[in-house]
Amino acid sequence: MTMDRRKFLELAIYGLGSVVGISLLAPIATYFLSPAWKKHIEDWVLLGETKKIPVGKPTKIEFIQRRKDGWMTVEEKRTAWVLTRDGKEFTVFDPRCTHLGCPYRWDEAKEKFLCPCHAAVFDVDGQVISGPPPRPLDRYDVKVEAGKLWMLPTLKEKV
Amino acid sequence: MESPFKWLRNRLGWSSVKQTLLDRKIPNPGRWAWAYTLGSATLAVFLLQVLTGMFLGMNYSPSPDHAYESIRYIMTEVPLGGLIRGLHKWGASAMIILLVLHLLRTFCMGSHKSPRELTWIVGIFLLLAAFGLGFTGYLLPWDQKAYWATAVGINISKQAPFLGLWIAKIFKGGEELGAMTLTRFYALHVLVLPTFMALLIGTHLFLVVYHGISAPPHPPGSEPPDYESLKAKGKSFYPHSIFKDLVMITTVIGILFFLSIYFGADLEDPADPTDASYNPRPEWYFLFLFQMLKLFPGNLEYLAAVVLPTILILFLLLLPFLDRGTKRHPFARPVWMTAGLLAVGYILLLSYQGWKSPLVNPQIEKNPMVLHGKKIYADLHCSYCHQIRGEGGTVGPDLSLTVSSRSDEWLEVHFRKPREATPGSAMPELNLLNEEIYALIAYLRDVGGSGIFTARLAKIYQENCQTCHRLKGEGGDVGPDLSGIGNFRVAEWIRAYIQNPQLLNPDAAMPEFGSILETQDIENLASYLAAQKRGK
Repeated sequence: MTMDRRKFLELAIYGLGSVVGISLLAPIATYFLSPAWKKHIEDWVLLGETKKIPVGKPTKIEFIQRRKDGWMTVEEKRTAWVLTRDGKEFTVFDPRCTHLGCPYRWDEAKEKFLCPCHAAVFDVDGQVISGPPPRPLDRYDVKVEAGKLWMLPTLKEKV
Repeated sequence: MESPFKWLRNRLGWSSVKQTLLDRKIPNPGRWAWAYTLGSATLAVFLLQVLTGMFLGMNYSPSPDHAYESIRYIMTEVPLGGLIRGLHKWGASAMIILLVLHLLRTFCMGSHKSPRELTWIVGIFLLLAAFGLGFTGYLLPWDQKAYWATAVGINISKQAPFLGLWIAKIFKGGEELGAMTLTRFYALHVLVLPTFMALLIGTHLFLVVYHGISAPPHPPGSEPPDYESLKAKGKSFYPHSIFKDLVMITTVIGILFFLSIYFGADLEDPADPTDASYNPRPEWYFLFLFQMLKLFPGNLEYLAAVVLPTILILFLLLLPFLDRGTKRHPFARPVWMTAGLLAVGYILLLSYQGWKSPLVNPQIEKNPMVLHGKKIYADLHCSYCHQIRGEGGTVGPDLSLTVSSRSDEWLEVHFRKPREATPGSAMPELNLLNEEIYALIAYLRDVGGSGIFTARLAKIYQENCQTCHRLKGEGGDVGPDLSGIGNFRVAEWIRAYIQNPQLLNPDAAMPEFGSILETQDIENLASYLAAQKRGK
């Protein structure tokens, strides 16, 4: 098979064009898309001493979270609902309703979590009793070390 | 029914576009064919700057509080961020080089003459815009070089007669170089100048196609040939010229990749307006102006700063109307060629002198982790309790003296749970993030060295070094005192010197230890010595 000069040049143009294009687009795509696979580095956050948390009744705890936000380290005030029945095992709920993220509260008289937005009701374990929420209250991972309660402040995205 | 592809070509008027742009004939460039690729290579590098710049912008924050940190973030945490920034940084230099070469090609071949005067003038504005992009771009990282080079540049504009002080204020966006300057430069760099540049490039390219690419100059003494007939004899732009353009572009991009991967883009200490020890230097393409300022005494400085550059620009803009006539060959224009060569030679000489002039900057720390650690050290006010080289509180130990005897693991435990590392320690639990701990360790290693002064090392030092060198008051005086050597030399240099002193200093009387001591011992010795620093 013979190839004339014009054909050869055309092929070379496509070849070189692809080399330049790919060698630039590949790193730029990696750079741009990297947030999709960036691993979140978990840092445990101290919630407080376990003995100060009341037994049998959900308690709202405020804490300061130090968190990396891009190139900054920010300190944010956050809250969580903590429940313990025996002072040893702890459950920590995300303070936002699983329906649309409104801040729910504990109703002492009814002994239920009530959400003010769309009248959702959860029981003390976070299970949905009535209303629109699609799932029980979200829980954080917790651990107890030397009488102190720690939690991982990131929820795993539920699909 | 026509295919969608055909429909699209139809609606775009592809056949006329192809005829005008791709099938147009180019006069045979002869042996100068490669010189004709400089324009396309410049355009390609401009597009590279646009592309890399757009993506750098996604992680950059133009405020004095965040600019430096966001660049550090790009360099250390965004995958391939260092490469993208490297391409952008080296691309800026490449664009200036290619623009100047393209200009010289045009000048030498007399391509700026009728009917292409306007193409030349637009080209000069493109050159100015590129210098403007360079000047506004290197303030953005807000490091020492950025801050000081910009401060000097703006002060130069003060020299302009009558309006100088106003111009400086307009550049700064206020009285002081600060947040307003940075946002102003940012907007100029990413919005204003690129828009101008794009419009100018569009005009430049239109004119190139409209007037046709100039033929190589005809030999002196001969009659100028008819352009149309040269064009008719030439080859089409596609694929013949485009092929050579692409070979050139691939080579340039390849070189830029090499430079970005091998040398990267540096980041100095964060900008410190109070630092009196810093020795500002502009980017290399401004060095000739920088050097020229030294040639004029104080009250005449405005000549070098404002008058001469303005004359040079005006001269370049008016060149097609001064260097006229049909003679295009360089040998047929001896006066113009001599003037051009003298000007280029003088600019090169000034740049060389500026580059060689003594530079007494303190060692430039390039490890971004160290810089990050330094910032955390300051943010957490560690110096309220700890000393580094004699500065700081005395509650905790002096870190420049004690860190070298601790391992990374120990330091990590110390930062996480101080009382586990040292029972009864008064150090507070700081609740640091992992990354902050690693940055702090990197910083302390830099301050205090990593060489642990073991018994073995002490013995080696005693047997091999102490006879001639003094350290902390002990030892001989044959060689120089080593106390504080860490202020001047890095471990890498000390290691090389111990191994073979004559390689770095041919007159050195010190024997080479490369064949006497083991490599690991030399390395440990070097990092121990590099940690021997003194306070200011």
